[in-house]
Amino acid sequence: MLVARQCLFVRALGGLVDFPFDLLINALVAGLLLGAFYAAVTIGVSISFGMLDIVNIAHPGFIILGSYIAYIVNTKLGIDPIVASIVVAPAFYALGALVYQVYYASFERYGQDSLRGLAFFFGLLFVTEVTLILVFGVDYRYVQAAYIGPSLQLGVVDLPLRMLVPCLVALALVGALQLFLSRSFLGRAIMAVAQDQLALQLMAASPTRIKRIAFALSIATTAIAGALLIVIQPVEPSIGREYIGRVFAICVLGGLGSLTGTLIGALLLGIVESVTSTFYGPSWAPAVAFGFLLITLAVRPAGLFGR
Amino acid sequence: MRTLPFFLVCLAVAAAVFVLARLVGNDYVFFAGYVVLQYIVLATAWNILGGYTGYVNFGSAAFFALGAYTSVFLHKFYPLPIPVLIVVGAIISGIVGLGMGYLTLRLRGAFFAIATLALAVVLQTLVTNWSYVGGARGAYVIRPNEIEPIGPYIQYLFLLMLALAVIALTVARGIERSWLGLGFAAIRDDELAAEASGVPTLRLKLVATAISGALMGVAGAPFPYYIGYLQPTSAFALDYAVNSIAMPMIGGTTSWIGPLIGAILLGTLQQVATVTISSSVNLLIVGLLIVDCVIIAPNGILGLIQGKRTAREIVTDPAVFALLFVVNVIPIYFLHQEALAARPLEIIFWAVLVFLALARGRIIGLSWLWALPVGGAAISVVPGPFWLWLLSALTLAICLGCGLLMRPPAPATRSGTP
Amino acid sequence: MTALLEVDNVSKRFGGFVALDGIALSVTAGERVGLIGPNGSGKSTLVNCICGTLTNEMGSVRFEGVTMNGLSAHERTRRGLARSFQLPRPFASLSVAENMRVPLLYTVNARPGAHLSASAIEARCAELLTLVGLAEKAKQLPRDLTQVEMRKLELARALAAEPKLLIADESMAGLSNTEVADIVALLIRLNERGITIIMIEHIMRAVMSFSQRLVVLVSGKKIADGAPDAVIRDPEVERAYLGQ
Repeated sequence: MLVARQCLFVRALGGLVDFPFDLLINALVAGLLLGAFYAAVTIGVSISFGMLDIVNIAHPGFIILGSYIAYIVNTKLGIDPIVASIVVAPAFYALGALVYQVYYASFERYGQDSLRGLAFFFGLLFVTEVTLILVFGVDYRYVQAAYIGPSLQLGVVDLPLRMLVPCLVALALVGALQLFLSRSFLGRAIMAVAQDQLALQLMAASPTRIKRIAFALSIATTAIAGALLIVIQPVEPSIGREYIGRVFAICVLGGLGSLTGTLIGALLLGIVESVTSTFYGPSWAPAVAFGFLLITLAVRPAGLFGR
Repeated sequence: MRTLPFFLVCLAVAAAVFVLARLVGNDYVFFAGYVVLQYIVLATAWNILGGYTGYVNFGSAAFFALGAYTSVFLHKFYPLPIPVLIVVGAIISGIVGLGMGYLTLRLRGAFFAIATLALAVVLQTLVTNWSYVGGARGAYVIRPNEIEPIGPYIQYLFLLMLALAVIALTVARGIERSWLGLGFAAIRDDELAAEASGVPTLRLKLVATAISGALMGVAGAPFPYYIGYLQPTSAFALDYAVNSIAMPMIGGTTSWIGPLIGAILLGTLQQVATVTISSSVNLLIVGLLIVDCVIIAPNGILGLIQGKRTAREIVTDPAVFALLFVVNVIPIYFLHQEALAARPLEIIFWAVLVFLALARGRIIGLSWLWALPVGGAAISVVPGPFWLWLLSALTLAICLGCGLLMRPPAPATRSGTP
Repeated sequence: MTALLEVDNVSKRFGGFVALDGIALSVTAGERVGLIGPNGSGKSTLVNCICGTLTNEMGSVRFEGVTMNGLSAHERTRRGLARSFQLPRPFASLSVAENMRVPLLYTVNARPGAHLSASAIEARCAELLTLVGLAEKAKQLPRDLTQVEMRKLELARALAAEPKLLIADESMAGLSNTEVADIVALLIRLNERGITIIMIEHIMRAVMSFSQRLVVLVSGKKIADGAPDAVIRDPEVERAYLGQ
């Protein structure tokens, strides 16, 4: 009955002011769901850029790779994409460790200028994207799962399950990482290496090994984020580019090195994008993220929660 | 040699190139040559900010497209001769570069790089939604077929681009040899120490961004006339961002010659490849060359010529060897599936594989390791039934396996530095 | 006489950590000041705040009576405040001689009225390199220098800016006894030519032979400031160095 009264209220309000309140509420809720997903996408970069100071521009490339792997497993074996991604995550972890090892051996060890490291990841991003185009073509791919299609109705609010489930998984992922970083020994070592590498070395822990674990972890998250992506929307290889800006915008907005900041930044971005998209059209959505980024960089580069 | 004589020599070379091109008798030379010259300007422009000053710009397409769309805007408003458009494009791009620099250059280099990406996307969204310049549907630019006294219009555009290339190279070389170039180098090497030595780092960085942006805009100004129909997706194409980074890096970032070499080599390669293979494989090749170059020859071709060591000892780390090896096999596989005319392009990557095997072999004591990829190359490049490729794949697998399974002898004397 | 450099109640925090707590220091023109303190006491942070590399949250720095707050590091260098870095920061892609050209072109030439011609700059480079004993390495890159030579380059580069006040941050670490004596003699010579010098060092022999006045920093606070002999015998200073 409370729900019914809500509906009446909102519709009455909408009638009074001639403003589409129910549209707004739906946009806000969709924004929250989207924002949680964005948090899952960004959490890896929070670790690699926020804590390890590695500008992994290829992160979205790994996410798309994750999407396609979820797609293959789903179409060939019929397994749920999200479950598949959790199974595949260790493989991505190994890949991340390999990539970090190469990055370290080629660039970090000699203290090279970051130009080359950036170019390395840029090249990797391209190679991944184009290889996927060559293997799968530019058609959109999508997965089948029980929760893609139906949606919940809560009064005026429409909750599509294909957004709700990824939202919940994303929140679980972020929560798990936060717990790991703050409670476990390895996790705290990672946060330590972010703050003071020399001190960590003096305590007889190898910073390189810690950083490798952290980076591998960040790539492992892309497996799951990729599966979430292909559940939410059909995927084709060049979609990754839209996420480059979003990911770094959220990181910067939330403050480097703060997972909570990333979550809040992601939710904010999701809401603003959703509202803009609903009222002004989806073609403006990419500009929102980047506009956010530019403004944050200009006004408060430390972000909302940054050090 | 001083700047003025250099400028005159460049003009002479440019004139010679133009005359030679006309002698060929096929207008296609001008179409392809225009693109290569355009890349010379873009690569040189990028290098002023990226190579000299150390600030990476991922959004070259933004400035290029700014120049192009300024032309479109003015064309709809009041048609002006192209040289005027070039100047206006330069001014607008320069101002935008200055503005963007002012917003972001006080932060670390990584933030600047991300911000340039952001700018490119914001600009593209703005342009796509702006119907006056055509928006998503694109804009047609009518241009004449011929122009007196040169002849076909494309030759006029080619000549313009030649002039722009000469200007860009002269500007870059002039900066490199001046006190400004010294300041840029100081900023690149150690910004904090530069500031403490009296270098006004923010001001110089803004100058670099403005000049770089202006030159990129200049490269874009004639583009609508070249292509005839301008869409945001073609003006903001990723090729520009990737190539303007790849060309200076592969050629060598410390001098004006590097971007020139990189642009000529890579540009010609891509023009040839576009005819024989698809454009996706094109991008794949460039992306891979960036990865290869950045790890193996960090100072580019120029560095190799100057005798700086390639990082032969980089493959001491098995992970590096493995990643580079696998990553270079990918394009060979895809190129192999394309037309027969694409086979020669495979040779680039086979050469890299041979180099990797040579270096790794020397480290682990298997000096004959390089013979495997050489054999594989011979089998692969020669036209034959597809199963033959499996044989060359086998040699590659063996090479990779040996390279990884054998360990190098007792650890090197160099200790790990913290 | 008005002080050349006046540090007035300068404080600097990094998050929750207080690096400098209300430092007050006054240096008159022509003085030789030694600044000592245990590792982590804030000496380099103080130098960074004075020279503009870091911004102090509270307090002010005045040079020649003009407040430096808000001025960037390069502007302070141009006004005559130069420093060498504790960990040498050479321009790695430039030769030793070119490393010297940077401050000559951007500081000396940027001052109103000055204009050194190209040959004068060359001569000045050579002169400075000979002063620190790096003349034969003029065309080499910093990575080919030994640690000791890099420290000398660091000092020479600071001198190239023709400062009125030079802050030498641990320029003698790792040097042999004779080399230390050489650098101290060089600094005293420069001081006689009119350059005020603040020396930050751990090598007590050098500090004692050089300083006319000794300042001690412990945990971000100034605990002593006076004649070297008196300061050394101060019980608080003894405690700081011998530990609690």
